Amino acid sequence: MSKTLFFSETGLSRLLEAIQASEVYAAVRREQGPEYSRLQKVSEAEVALRQPRPSASPKAFLQPARERVAVYSAAGFDADASRPVGGDWALVGLRACDLAAIAYLDKVFREGDFADPFYEARRQAEFLVSVDCVAVHENCFCTAVGGRPFAESGFDLNLTPLESGYLVEVGSEKGQEVVDRAGDAAREPTDDEMRQREAARQQAKSQVEEQSGGLRVTEQVQALLAAKQGTGELGEMASRCVECAACTFICPTCHCFYLYDQVGGEENFERVRTWDSCILGDYSRMAGPAGAKPTPRPSLRNRCANRLLHKYVFSPQQYGMLGCTGCGRCIEACCGKIDIREVLRELTGDTSG
Amino acid sequence: MTQAVEANPYAPQVARLSRVIDETPTIKTFCFDLEQPLEFRAGQFVQLGVPGLGEAPFTPSSSPLDPQHLEVTVLKTGGVTERLHRMAEGELCTLRGPYGKGYPVEKLEGKDVVVVGGGVGLAPLRALIHVLFSMTDRLNKVVIKNGARESAELLFRNQYAKWADHDKVAFTMTIDNPEPGWDGHVGVVTTILDNLPNEVNVPNAYAFSCGPEIMLRFVTFALLEKGFQPEQIYLSMNRRMSCGIGKCGRCNIGPYYLCKDGPDMCYAQIKDYPNVF
Repeated sequence: MSKTLFFSETGLSRLLEAIQASEVYAAVRREQGPEYSRLQKVSEAEVALRQPRPSASPKAFLQPARERVAVYSAAGFDADASRPVGGDWALVGLRACDLAAIAYLDKVFREGDFADPFYEARRQAEFLVSVDCVAVHENCFCTAVGGRPFAESGFDLNLTPLESGYLVEVGSEKGQEVVDRAGDAAREPTDDEMRQREAARQQAKSQVEEQSGGLRVTEQVQALLAAKQGTGELGEMASRCVECAACTFICPTCHCFYLYDQVGGEENFERVRTWDSCILGDYSRMAGPAGAKPTPRPSLRNRCANRLLHKYVFSPQQYGMLGCTGCGRCIEACCGKIDIREVLRELTGDTSG
Repeated sequence: MTQAVEANPYAPQVARLSRVIDETPTIKTFCFDLEQPLEFRAGQFVQLGVPGLGEAPFTPSSSPLDPQHLEVTVLKTGGVTERLHRMAEGELCTLRGPYGKGYPVEKLEGKDVVVVGGGVGLAPLRALIHVLFSMTDRLNKVVIKNGARESAELLFRNQYAKWADHDKVAFTMTIDNPEPGWDGHVGVVTTILDNLPNEVNVPNAYAFSCGPEIMLRFVTFALLEKGFQPEQIYLSMNRRMSCGIGKCGRCNIGPYYLCKDGPDMCYAQIKDYPNVF
């Protein structure tokens, strides 16, 4: 069903304005770099479509950092007050790595015996506009984990910035409806424009490959990491980790959370879900006097190793995909300057970087 | 449970305590006469909580064959359990579940079944024992081993005679610290496993153990030494579990989430992962 159209710069503004979601978020230009932010009005001028990916991932739009998931009282569970809230929403300027992360979160929250109604409601109400990376962040390594700097599925609309405007690929019926509303701003792309898209994509891909320096998380690399479980080597990065958990909070696929209860009113109690991190010491701590109930991973080395294994070894076993999209956000977020690319290279003996 | 609760896996039902049983100085059993039965398999767990304070995972100790009368046996050991221990008949608790896989009871036909409990670890195993007693005609033998720190901490003492009386069941217990007058076995629970090869046909047996992780570790090594294969050993790995449905992340051993894939794990599945014990 894939259909591609050409929009000029002003045509694109009309297309984005045709989205009509009650809340629109986009990768917008900021002095310190693009970031996902709420827009009052979509105008292409401020949307960052030709800059590298934003420094924070878009996961908070699907799994907020803190969210009430249930209300109950002595009378029981209040179903009406415990439903997902919020209307339709749109996110403009997602990258292929962000879409890959959403595909991963779908496995966690939508599949299995229990679906998460809050995640599900936001997924159903969303409108996703992705954009090819024409500028690549220096920490990007998506090609090393099976990704590419452009999206081929998972979007409602995908944009390819060209010199003279944008190619817009339609990925869903919802996407088609938006295109139809801005239909008179579109025209069929020329063969030359389609060739420009291919060339731009190959150029971005080559650049990511080049800066990844031959790093590729192949099945052999995964097996090498798996074989080093329990050796202590996997936790080496702990010597530089300051336990801030920024890597997990910035990561687009990290999804750990904690449920806690609180008093929510005179007669009510609330159950709240909040982000949590496997790097933090209390994450798995059990009740009881210290020692009598051991924390399964008492040392930071264990926790760093577990995170690495979850990304590259356990996730493929659990969900059939890596838990890393190669967005490289953890690299710039890390206070200890841990570079996951270097960690992988050192552990798997790849010195080509 | 109502449809709405089912659709929101984080939402609890609110249940009134119908009875609180003092089991030992540190262990109480909380009983609920539920309007809507909470159907569970032996070994599956529930999230039992105090309204406004929080919840914690417990495997019920009552019979899965009587899902209207749920009993949860709780050791006082942390914030939620201390508050639970101060609760009385008529007070309200939160309940969610059941979660997890439960014991593989279907594998036990014609088998010798070894049950090894330590301290409050006997609580989840009692649900299994209830099921085993309902199917003794299809089992070869049941051997129950129970240990506690001291005699006052022996759990479910009024059940022991019934267990020991059954002609297909053998029951042995031990305590670590005897008081004057104790004439039973003394020693950690592994010391009453020495005779297992004479009590059961090891190649035809399954073993189930629940207790502190340090105990599980030594029980596992003892069972392996007696000739049990890792495939024949099931361990209750009751770690911290928050969501109960395999999403919040904290209870993993390797790629397994104990809440979803356990909490009773076959030792063969987990033995090669770090931080198992």
